[in-house]
Formats: sequence, C-alpha cells, structure tokens
Amino acid sequence: MNEKLITFTLENGLTLLIREIHTAPIVSCWVWYGIGSRNEVPGKTGLSHWVEHMQFKGTSQRSASWMDHAIARLGGHWNAFTSADWTTYFETLPASALETALALEADRMRGSLFDPDEVETERTVILSEREGLENDPLFLLNQAVQLRAFREHPYRNEVIGAKEDLLALTRDDLFGHYRNYYQPANALLCLVGDIDPQQALSLTQRYFGNIQSQPIHKNIPAPEEEPPTFERVDLRGPGDATFVEIAWRAPKGNSEDFFAFTILESLLTGPSSLNMFGGGGISNRTSRLYLALVEKELAVSVNGSLNASTDPGTFTINLTKHPARSVCKLLSALDNEIEKIQSKPVAQAEIDRAVKQAKALFAYSSDNITNHGFWMGYANSFADYSWFTSYVERLAAVTPEMVADTARKYLRPDARVVGVYTPNGKEL
Amino acid sequence: MTALLFSNATLPGSDDITRQEFANGSVMLTRPNNSSPAVAIRGYLPPGSAAEAPEKYGLANFMTSMLMAGTSRHAFRELHDEIESMGASLSIGAGGLATSFAGQCLREDLSHFLKIIREVFSEPSFPAKQFQRIKTQLLTVLAIQAQDTAAMADQAFDRAIYREHPYAIPDLGFPQTLQLITREDLAAFHQRYLGPAGLVVAISGGIQPQEALDAFNETLGAWKNINQQPQPELPPVEPLRGITREHIMLAEKSQTDLVMGTFAPKTTGPDYLPAQLGNEILGQFGMMGRIGESVREKAGLAYYAQSELGVGLGPTTWQIVAGVNPKNLEKAIELIRGELSRFTSELVTEEELADVRSAVVGRLPLSLESNAGVASALLNLERYQYSLDYIRELPARLTAVTREDILRAAQTYWQLENMVIASAGVALDD
Repeated sequence: MNEKLITFTLENGLTLLIREIHTAPIVSCWVWYGIGSRNEVPGKTGLSHWVEHMQFKGTSQRSASWMDHAIARLGGHWNAFTSADWTTYFETLPASALETALALEADRMRGSLFDPDEVETERTVILSEREGLENDPLFLLNQAVQLRAFREHPYRNEVIGAKEDLLALTRDDLFGHYRNYYQPANALLCLVGDIDPQQALSLTQRYFGNIQSQPIHKNIPAPEEEPPTFERVDLRGPGDATFVEIAWRAPKGNSEDFFAFTILESLLTGPSSLNMFGGGGISNRTSRLYLALVEKELAVSVNGSLNASTDPGTFTINLTKHPARSVCKLLSALDNEIEKIQSKPVAQAEIDRAVKQAKALFAYSSDNITNHGFWMGYANSFADYSWFTSYVERLAAVTPEMVADTARKYLRPDARVVGVYTPNGKEL
Repeated sequence: MTALLFSNATLPGSDDITRQEFANGSVMLTRPNNSSPAVAIRGYLPPGSAAEAPEKYGLANFMTSMLMAGTSRHAFRELHDEIESMGASLSIGAGGLATSFAGQCLREDLSHFLKIIREVFSEPSFPAKQFQRIKTQLLTVLAIQAQDTAAMADQAFDRAIYREHPYAIPDLGFPQTLQLITREDLAAFHQRYLGPAGLVVAISGGIQPQEALDAFNETLGAWKNINQQPQPELPPVEPLRGITREHIMLAEKSQTDLVMGTFAPKTTGPDYLPAQLGNEILGQFGMMGRIGESVREKAGLAYYAQSELGVGLGPTTWQIVAGVNPKNLEKAIELIRGELSRFTSELVTEEELADVRSAVVGRLPLSLESNAGVASALLNLERYQYSLDYIRELPARLTAVTREDILRAAQTYWQLENMVIASAGVALDD
C-alpha cells in the first residue's frame, strides 16, 4: 500500500489531499468544512446540521434527484455527517467516476438553492429525526449530562439542535450560515483510492479552481479547559432499566495527554475505534470496569467514549445498572477502580496489550477505502495527517506513570457530572 | 448488458475462491487479499431458534450467549483474555434457522484464533456463575427492547404475519420463557444440535488458501459431535388473508415506528431478482426510492421511509418501514398505500429499470472491498448453493430482468387487500 500523501493548496485556499490505494477499482471523495455545532450561538443551534440536509436539495445546475440518481446509478454511495467540530460530505464510487463526485461537490459548495418550500419540508424531517432520538433514554440522558458538563462552550448542545431553535430558524439563517462557511478556504478535499494523482489534481483545478473565497466570519468559542463542577442530574421516564452516564473533561485530540488518555480509556472500559465506519470492535470483557462492575453484578453493561475533538471535550462512561443493585453502590465501585488506577501505576504489559489492540483496530478499518478518506479529513480537523500515521507509535510511547498522572488530572470525583435515568415508579 | 465501470475479473470467482468440504460435514471457503494484515471470518451452523420448544423460547440465543462464558479449558476471564489480547473479536448469535458468527484477527493469529473458536463451540462449560449473570443481561436487553418503538413494531409485525410459524417468535424469547431455562437445558440443546454437520465458514484476508485450509483442518475441520441431530424442518407459512392492523402502545414516545408488509419471494427462486430490482425502485434507490420521495422528500413526514426485501433460507418478508410523528401515522400509511397501488398496477419506467440495474451492479465492488464484505459474500454462495462464479454472472442475470417481470413480481407478492400494518408508539388517539 502506498502510504505517500500528496498535499496541494489551490489559490482560493482549498486544501487537497490525495492518497493512492490501488487494492480495488474504487475512489472515495470527501469534502470537509470547518463548521459544526461548536461554531453555533445560543438560539441558533442545529444550523450546521440543517444546512447539511439542504445540501442534498439541489443547485441551480443540478436538481436534488439528479444528484441522488447520478451517484446511485453508478452503484456509489454518498452521505454527510455533522459533528460538533466539522461537517463532511463523501461519495465512494467506481474509480472511473471520480469526475462526477468532484463536479457535484464543487457545484454545491456555492450553488445550493435553499428553496423556501424545501426548507419547510426539511424542518419537519429534522424534527422527525429529533423525535426518533428522543425515543431513546440514552439520548435524553446524554443531552442532560452534556448540558451540565460545559458552562458556555457549545459542546454542551446536541448537534441536531434544540427543538425550540429548530422551530424558529429561518431560511435566511440557513442560507447565511451556508454562504459564510461553505467556501474553498474553509474546506479540505480528500481523495483516496484507485487514483491517478495528476488527473485528480487537474480535475480539482477545473471544478474548484474558479470558486472565489470571501472573508469568513467564524464564531470560535473559547476552549473550556476547566472541568465541570460536580453535579448530579436525575431524569425519569418509561421503561424498566436504569442508566447512568458520568462525564469528565477530556483533553483535546491534538494534545500530549490525549494518547495517555486513550490508553487509560482502553484499560478502564476497553479499546474503541475512533473511526465512524468501524471495521469492527474488540470486546471489553477483560477491561477493569467490566471485571469490577459487570462481573461483580453491579452493572449489566459498561462502555466508555472518548472523542478526538478540537477543544477539550468529555470522556463519558455509560452503565446499565443491575436491577438488584443501587446506583450508590455502583458509583462507589466505579470510584474504587478509578482510585486504583490513579494510585498505582499499571503494568507495562497492560499498556502493550492496549497498543496491540489499537494496532488491530487500525488494521481492521484499513481494508476499506471509505475509511481512509474519513481518517485523512478527521485527523486534519484537529491536527494533521501525521496524527493518524503516528497514532500507534504515540500510544506505544505512553508509560505507566503517564496513565496514572492522566487519571489523577482528569478523573476527579469532584469534577464530573453524573446523570441517572430512573424508570417511572422506581426509587431514585 | 449493463455497461460495467470495473473489470468483472476483480470480483470473486472460481479462479480465486477455494472451497473445501471436510469429512465432518463442514465446508470452508477462502479468498486471499494480499494487501491486508488482517483476516475476517464469517460462518454459520445449526441450530436456530426454530428448534426451540414453545416453553423455552429464547433457548438458542441463550445457548449461543453462553458459548463464550467459559470452556472446559478456560474460565470466562481467561477465555476473553486470550481473544482480547490478540486484538481479535468474536460474536455469536442465533437466528431463526442457524447460529451465525463473525470474527476478525491479525493474520499471524489465525491458527490460534480458529483453535479458540473450535473450543468455544465444542467445549462450553456453561458455568453456573455466568449463567445467572447472562440471564440477567438478557432480561435487561428485553426490558430495554420493550421500550424501543422500532423493535416493538417489528415484533408486532412478525407475530401478525407468521402467526403459528416459529418465525413469529423473537429470537431472544420472552422474560417468562427465559426465566424457565436451566443450565441443563442449555447443555442438552448444545449437545443435540450444535455440531460440524452444516457448519460453513468463509475466511478472507491476508492469508494464502493453503494456510487457511491447514488451519481450518486442524481445528473446526477436526471437530466431531457424535450426538448431533438434525434440527426440525420448518413448517410452511399460511398465506395472508385480509388486512391485519396491530399497534403497540408505548407511553411518552415522540416518534411512532411503522412496518407494513407481506411475504417475499423465495431468495433462490425465479421471482427474487425481479423483486430485488423492483424493491430498489420502490424504496431504496437514491434517497429511499419512490417511498422516500413521497413520504420524506415531498411530504416531509419522516426521517426515514424505505422498503426492505428479506433474504434467507426460510420464509422472508417484503416490508416498508418508516419513523413518523404520531399525528402523521395515518397520512404516511395512505401515501405508502398509494405508492404500492402504483407499483402493482403500472410498469416501472425504462429509465427506472436502467438506473437500479446499474446501481445494483455498480455496488458490487463497493460491497466487496473489505475482508468482511468478501467473507459474507462467500458465505452466501454456499448458503444458497450458488456457483462460485455467481457474483461475476450477476450483471448478466440482472440485465435479463424486464419491466414485465418486475410488475409480475409486484402483483404476485403485494396485494393491497392482504397485508400486515404494525406500529408502535403513543396511543393512536393521542
């Protein structure tokens, strides 16, 4: 596999990354915009996600159905995702059809219509998407915990937006957001797969080269480094299972602490892949918290979640309580385990094992061209591509002392939010 | 024939798939991917939940959940330590007709990983401590599922369409039947049905065919269960008569999930490919086909609304699923019925047929780019007794499907006066 990455910046500021992989006659084209819910202001939450939906509704050159059918007819697949830090669009399709993807992405970078009738239709679609999420107690719990894990930083908001904002946003709000942020100078184009780099560069120049960048008014929030003050939030709702979510401050992706934190997460709750497209996970039956909480029958399941984010984010642990145990006992056992990892350095063999697991997860997600496109852009959203290529090596450099230091620094009992979802009719 | 945007030779075929039958009744298929440092494994073997007695529904799934709870050689923690230390993963679950499993590991660990898989299948110890713990976990899963509108609508649909057939029963069983299952039940069910006769395994990744064959031969290929019995034959399903409407009431839910459907053609029968192309037009192509265009794009009623054609060896269903605001439920049903009426009374257009044919063919290299995708495709070749060149022949077979074939399939399987409509969400009059 050719690991070489070709980087090029057009005069209008568009950055292009190309990586050749010739294992299958496929290419994946990704456009990453530096805009997400992190850049939204109170009262206007959900703008970035809604704009992403409108990008599938057609341009003056191409109708919505033309775009949709052009990709599908090729057997390709396309989609988009909005996160707190970025919005990204991708097409994976036969290598000979790269030009179709580039022409489409260049067109909708500036030419989407935002037809007022379509905006109204999409309002109900997004409200329906939100209603689907609200059916899940874990969404409601996460929403309540994140709101308290940050005082002001927009990471406190759900990417989909608050219901009242979704009801109030206007076509002008959406179009203004789109015109401000969807510009070559705020975008990264990643091309990966069975590609001729010269041809790809020439096509990129042809389709994107004439798009002018205007000044961008970017709302950049101040990072909230300080941890949350201890708070417990209780929710009630239908069901029979009690869920607990605990959130601590976590280091940003592009920091030294992040790698020690990744090992810490792996030891506590099991290894997890940062890749959106998985490639398969590794179970966590021998993680410290599984052994201490599930094996000891205090919980039925335990999972951890750590994201590589632009600003300091959260590390969360989700627990499903054992029906015969109390939340109090569960949290006490959790605290004991965290205290152990804070007070006594872990064995080097545990770190070596976590590194091997990370290496395996990388291998699993690397047999898929679409995943490579994801990694190229994702790593650049908070660092650069070398973050991806040096990931396993940097994990291997983590020492037992670094793990204990990181646990002491971040996983403080007085600096976390504890959320509990208790079924109606059951004791808190 | 549909113009191919890729070389047919890049698809798996008889010149790069190795298939081997073993004396114990198992079959292995493999295809190398020299650029990969990893290996994906997919497989299935008897039994499925169809072999359960009514008072022990959930037994097959409970048994497969316990396979990894410990063996005669390794206790729970040791077993998972073996697997997780390799960076490998293994999941096992019971379906209606078979137990399926999926795993992956780094290529240097394949032999050891296959040894562990054999041990898990052939020597589970069903330890008492884990038995109670896993039972509690399964009961919790059922409790969570009972609040999931999509799962509840699915279950209501299955109950209404399959009626007395074993597929009417959820694979996980029910709380009351799970409570009755004992460790002895698990061990007896395991010994009676789980064995190498009927085991099919597909391996794809950075491993040469001979190495894979050797590793398999020493492990799963050498497994014996002299007590293994064939599982009971599935009974036929009763045809649908009239419209059956079911609604499961779940309080405090913002969205209602809807499943409408009928029986699907047999996966290996002559109607399947016309139905597959028709299903693409009805509710898959682009942004969820005609259904998506009508219910989501034009009416804005749902975040998702699409059709799904079942695939499998037993009887399967052809469904339309949607998630809607409760007040829009009846309107969504009406729009979907309107699309079904058009689908069963008019020929699809030439353009629609050309589009979906091109889409299904073009999707082949994408679905086969990963080791897991190839392993799943190899498994299906064996499951449906297709030739090793079936995937390469598929473009030509799809080209032979006509608009009239699709209309015939639509009219045979969809009848507006005979279908099941199931939903789950807040009360219908809320």
